[in-house]
Amino acid sequence: MDTEATRSILPVLAFMLPLVGALLTAPAQRASVRLRNGLLLVVAAAVAVVAVALAMGVAGGAAYESYILQLTPQIWMYLRVDAAGALFGATVAVLWVLALVYSFGYMAGEHRLGRYYGFFILCLSWTMGVAYAGNLLTFLIFYELFSILTYPLVVHEETPEAMAAGTKYIVYILVGGTLVLLAIVLTFFSAGTQTFTNGGILGGGIERVRLLAIFWCFLTGFGVKAALVPLHGWVPDAHPAAPAPFSAVLSGVMVAAGSFGIIRMMFQVFGLELLQDLAVTRYLTWIASFTVLFAAALAVNQDNLKRRLAYSTISQMAYVVLAVSLLGTESTVGALVHITNHAFMKGGLFLCAGLFIRRLGASSVSQLDGAARRMPVTAACFAIACLGMIGTPPLSGFTSKWYLGLGMLETEDPLLLLVLLGGALMAAVYLLPIVYRMYFREPALTPDDLTQIEGREAPASMLGPLVVATALTVVLGIGASLPGMPVSLARMAAEAFFH
Amino acid sequence: MDAGHAVAVVTEAAHVVPSALPAALVLGPLVAAALVRPLGKRWPGVRNAYVVAITALTLLGAAALIPLIAEHHRVQSVVPALLGELTFTVDSFSMLFALFTSFVWFAATLHSLDYLKHEKKHDRYHTTTLVVLAANLGVVLAGDLVTLYLFFEALGLVAFLLVIHTETDEAKKASAKYFWMTVIGGFALVGGIFLTFALGGSGALEPLPAGHGDEMLRWAAAILLILGFGVKAGMVPVHVWLPDAHPVAPAPASALLSGVMIKAGAYGIFRVVTALFRPEVAETVEESLWHFSEQLGLVVLWIGIATMFIGVFLALQQSNAKRMLAYHSVSQMGFILAGIGAAGYLGAHGAMGVAGGLYHVVNHALFKACLFLGVGAVYYRTHSLDLYHTGGLWKKMPITFAFMCVAAAGITGVPLFNGFVSKCLIHHAIVEAWEYHELASLGIAEKIYIVTCGGTACSFIKLIGLMFLGKPKMEYGPEVKDAPPRMLLGMGVLATAIIALGWFPQILIRGVFQPGLHTWGVHGDILDHYLGHSFLSSPDIMSVVTAFALGFTFFFVGMKFHLFHLHAPRYFSIDWWYGQAAHGLIAGCRTIDHTYEVVRGATSLLLRRTRSSYATAVGRLDRQWRLVTTTLLTGASAPRDQHLMQQAYLLLERERQDAVRTAVIRAESLARGPGGPPDTGTIDAVREIAGYIAGRMMHERMGVLADSLRRGELEHAVTLLAASGDRLAKARAPIAAAALTLAPARMRGESISREVGAAVNSLLSAERFDRMMEAAAPVAQVALGRTADTLGGLRRALPTRAEIRAADARGRNRLERGAAWALEILRLAVSEFTQERTEWLPEHRFEEQAVVRTRLRIQRYARDISANVAIVFVVLLVFIAALSM
Repeated sequence: MDTEATRSILPVLAFMLPLVGALLTAPAQRASVRLRNGLLLVVAAAVAVVAVALAMGVAGGAAYESYILQLTPQIWMYLRVDAAGALFGATVAVLWVLALVYSFGYMAGEHRLGRYYGFFILCLSWTMGVAYAGNLLTFLIFYELFSILTYPLVVHEETPEAMAAGTKYIVYILVGGTLVLLAIVLTFFSAGTQTFTNGGILGGGIERVRLLAIFWCFLTGFGVKAALVPLHGWVPDAHPAAPAPFSAVLSGVMVAAGSFGIIRMMFQVFGLELLQDLAVTRYLTWIASFTVLFAAALAVNQDNLKRRLAYSTISQMAYVVLAVSLLGTESTVGALVHITNHAFMKGGLFLCAGLFIRRLGASSVSQLDGAARRMPVTAACFAIACLGMIGTPPLSGFTSKWYLGLGMLETEDPLLLLVLLGGALMAAVYLLPIVYRMYFREPALTPDDLTQIEGREAPASMLGPLVVATALTVVLGIGASLPGMPVSLARMAAEAFFH
Repeated sequence: MDAGHAVAVVTEAAHVVPSALPAALVLGPLVAAALVRPLGKRWPGVRNAYVVAITALTLLGAAALIPLIAEHHRVQSVVPALLGELTFTVDSFSMLFALFTSFVWFAATLHSLDYLKHEKKHDRYHTTTLVVLAANLGVVLAGDLVTLYLFFEALGLVAFLLVIHTETDEAKKASAKYFWMTVIGGFALVGGIFLTFALGGSGALEPLPAGHGDEMLRWAAAILLILGFGVKAGMVPVHVWLPDAHPVAPAPASALLSGVMIKAGAYGIFRVVTALFRPEVAETVEESLWHFSEQLGLVVLWIGIATMFIGVFLALQQSNAKRMLAYHSVSQMGFILAGIGAAGYLGAHGAMGVAGGLYHVVNHALFKACLFLGVGAVYYRTHSLDLYHTGGLWKKMPITFAFMCVAAAGITGVPLFNGFVSKCLIHHAIVEAWEYHELASLGIAEKIYIVTCGGTACSFIKLIGLMFLGKPKMEYGPEVKDAPPRMLLGMGVLATAIIALGWFPQILIRGVFQPGLHTWGVHGDILDHYLGHSFLSSPDIMSVVTAFALGFTFFFVGMKFHLFHLHAPRYFSIDWWYGQAAHGLIAGCRTIDHTYEVVRGATSLLLRRTRSSYATAVGRLDRQWRLVTTTLLTGASAPRDQHLMQQAYLLLERERQDAVRTAVIRAESLARGPGGPPDTGTIDAVREIAGYIAGRMMHERMGVLADSLRRGELEHAVTLLAASGDRLAKARAPIAAAALTLAPARMRGESISREVGAAVNSLLSAERFDRMMEAAAPVAQVALGRTADTLGGLRRALPTRAEIRAADARGRNRLERGAAWALEILRLAVSEFTQERTEWLPEHRFEEQAVVRTRLRIQRYARDISANVAIVFVVLLVFIAALSM
């Protein structure tokens, strides 16, 4: 059951600090660029410290809550940090810090940086709110704000492709958000309460049609964000169009927010027994399995690197939904751990992609021949992240695949193993040839290259976050079962969901 | 040994003693590999010594395991990491594997120091070598399936760097094939491991419990595990990477690949057959479990037979020495698998099979490594690997020749060399299996075994004969002398071991196998029987002689009839089919992507069309709405009539300009005619007068059209106007004439208004524009015959165009008239209410038009008022009627 939660200011800090930072961005920028950068870094680091502290506290067995605002006599805006939320929040905060530090180097010299940084740090606030939300309405508020206010970041470059991608993105997200709102209204109407409770708040007394309607509305609404086929259309356009640091965040955290919403919905709004009664999760399994394989098949054929990585994100996030739909303890552990692991691996991959575009002018796979000679550190980090994505031990990808596999065994359906391994094989097919090209092919020389073959590696300010992300991939894999690591938090969360 | 005793032994053996040595053996080279590059950048000599030292230390460490195992039987290290713990458990068999692994590694590293002088990137090679050593030791010392999988994957993936070391095109292709097969094998392996968990296993290398899962699941798990390990082991049908990968690697790396790394796969299969799927030793054992274990053993046995035969058959076709040796690796793996399979089949009586298979593992590591090193030395000196283009090297490289002979004797099974022992053991195991259940197919297996031995002999007769004996087939320069000392040392060490194990088989049999088998509760006395009676006995020696006889026969027949140069067509090779499957997968992905793009394009096209048709529909509705509202508000179809009036205006204006132009031209021609330049004054006057007359004409014509607008026949009138251009043009000449006539008077300054007015009137009455506008409908075309009948019928059936137009006009005009009437009423009412009643003002002049207009208005007013009164009356009637009901 739910642990007794202590009132604490930390969750509020986690979402107020970036708000303050966003407000101060413009004045700070007018003063000096270094002041602005320093301010943003301090804010993001503070949020990361808070998030990790909360995660450590929750791993020790506590739970935290804060009441923010009373909207109506019955409904408060309410934050509650439990194991799942703490894990997701810590992931978000750390990845955001890495992306921010990378932005300082990557975005130097771009236009409208005040807008970029302002919205960047603002969206950290909304994402922390999504992670820590304690009831449906709070979740919805932060989720919608988060979806809409990332639009300026998606269309930052303001090229026609970016604008088109942004339009597609906002249409999809708004439609999804509307469905989520509908579902929440129905839930509140049916259940009388809208606080997240382990074991679910919808009871068996509600008629089946309405329960199914709520379920499918939630699923379609969150499925747009979580990029389940056929609702995934915005992902392959939004990722190449957005600037690289934001693509990293988009892939690592935004799409995961949709899966996170599905997890919350399934276990804390519906509850395990109700889902088993309704017997709808097998459809979810089919949809997710299809997404895994279909997106991977599409990824093989993409030449643009960022687009390929975008399809990879769709495929990997579908693993999370697949695992959750199996309604087993081990697979839920795997799902939650995979969100974290994938965030750092895919974040690292997108940061590398950004470096390749900046330093080599290479935006498509066929232009990456021989890149390892010119950018050895970047290429090494890319290779490690790729090996992690396909589930090579001892990297972190192996951990999540292992728990997923064990969870699939619990359901006694061996065909799911085919989906797991088939998806991993396809991931190898679309990722490893890039690594091979980088190391073992000769680069195509352009005239100005002839003077500058060596020494194109990125500066330390951009390599730093990349190396940290790769190091996290390795550490989270080797030390997976240490206390305080994601696996222990995920296990606590799964145990809470399943009693 | 009865069941009770067996249980006691096994329980005692399950007790493990903790020790740090296994973990140190694995992690040591791994950590040491980090130092290779820094050392190599500055002091290559130090680095070389360092690498040899590390491998020597590892060998010593493996040797240090011997006393530990002798005392405690099982030693374990536990490292907390990964999913929980990494476990390293060492029993006799693991110790054996670790020993020969480090031994061969040491020899190959010695060899590589000279060989690599031809290659680049020494640091990468040495680093990789150390890491792969660590991974290999990790595989053979692993205590549970997760640790095994971790190091197995690491082994496969890092060894890729060894295969691709030379970075030639061939090497890249071979390494790509190797890599993908390793990846797929890894996935099969992890699938198998998952299924063992489903079967109730805990991940340890112990017998799986009975009762969980059905037969299908057991078979699936076993097949997946065997396939996963089999890829590495070079088992048919997943052996296709081996013949490409081993030759392209540098020779010492090939020695390691062929000699040691494929044994990691064999180790895995060994553990699967004898540990995982063996029933637990217990007081009572389920019959079905033994049955499964037997069947599995039989399957592995037959896979081994197939592998050995296919391997040797393909080896005979090769001309590249390294490729031939690679195929022999496949074939010898078949021997090992046959031994292990026999052991599985025989169950508790399988000591021979285990001993034979594992002895052959060690032997093959030794002699294959020595062979590769020797061939590498030949390449180092002569730069040629072709069997048919070298020869006579026994004079130039005598010591190398000697070691090659020793190794060849080993692999062909000459007595007093190590191969003899292991091959005989495996042969005995197969014969025992045949006699155990009297399975006829195993008799055929035994025959194939003998034939394969013969083929092996033939192949090495070929190698030694063609490469070292006979006359040289190419020119040898002065550099072709014997191999450098370090290479010779490496080979010599291995050759010594080959001979030692051939003379003293009891070292391994008594020292390693019997204690190991003892811990499983398997009868080991049969090995004592072998050592005492069958070793070097006549039946065994006879079988070797038979093999050599077959070998020589094959050799002579093959060389005579050039049979060794035959090649099978493409479709016979599994390799080709795998390649097709891989291309098919990529092509399939491309097809899916194209289909998806097509569907997406169609959807977006559909959406765009919907949006544009929506926009069109909205536009149309908007226009209709505007039409209705403006008609209701203004009493006339403003847009339509305006458009028509504009059309008419354009036509008439054009006509007017043409008339003026005609007049001016006529004036110019006349003025020019008689003499002198044209008089501009006259022409101006003509233009002015003609312009005025034409303007009046146009004005009157527009007036007629305005009338027809009022009557509602404007469309008809405009159509007629458009069609009657000629008739209007008839007025041009009279206009020109009149202008010319009146121009002189105008020039003189007289007032000509009366004459002009008269001219205009006469023109108007001549033209009768109003009557022109009332002309009849256009003439219809005449149709003939049956067409006429059909057309006539159609025409009768359908409403005529005039009727349609009239109905249309009526409908629209009705709306307009109704609206106009309503507006008039409204306007009148408003004006009635708001207008002041003024007195009759005598100053007003009453023009004729005003009078007419007033009269019209009075008439209309009366009409409308009467209508109103009528309506009021009717409403009253209705009201009264309603009231009275």
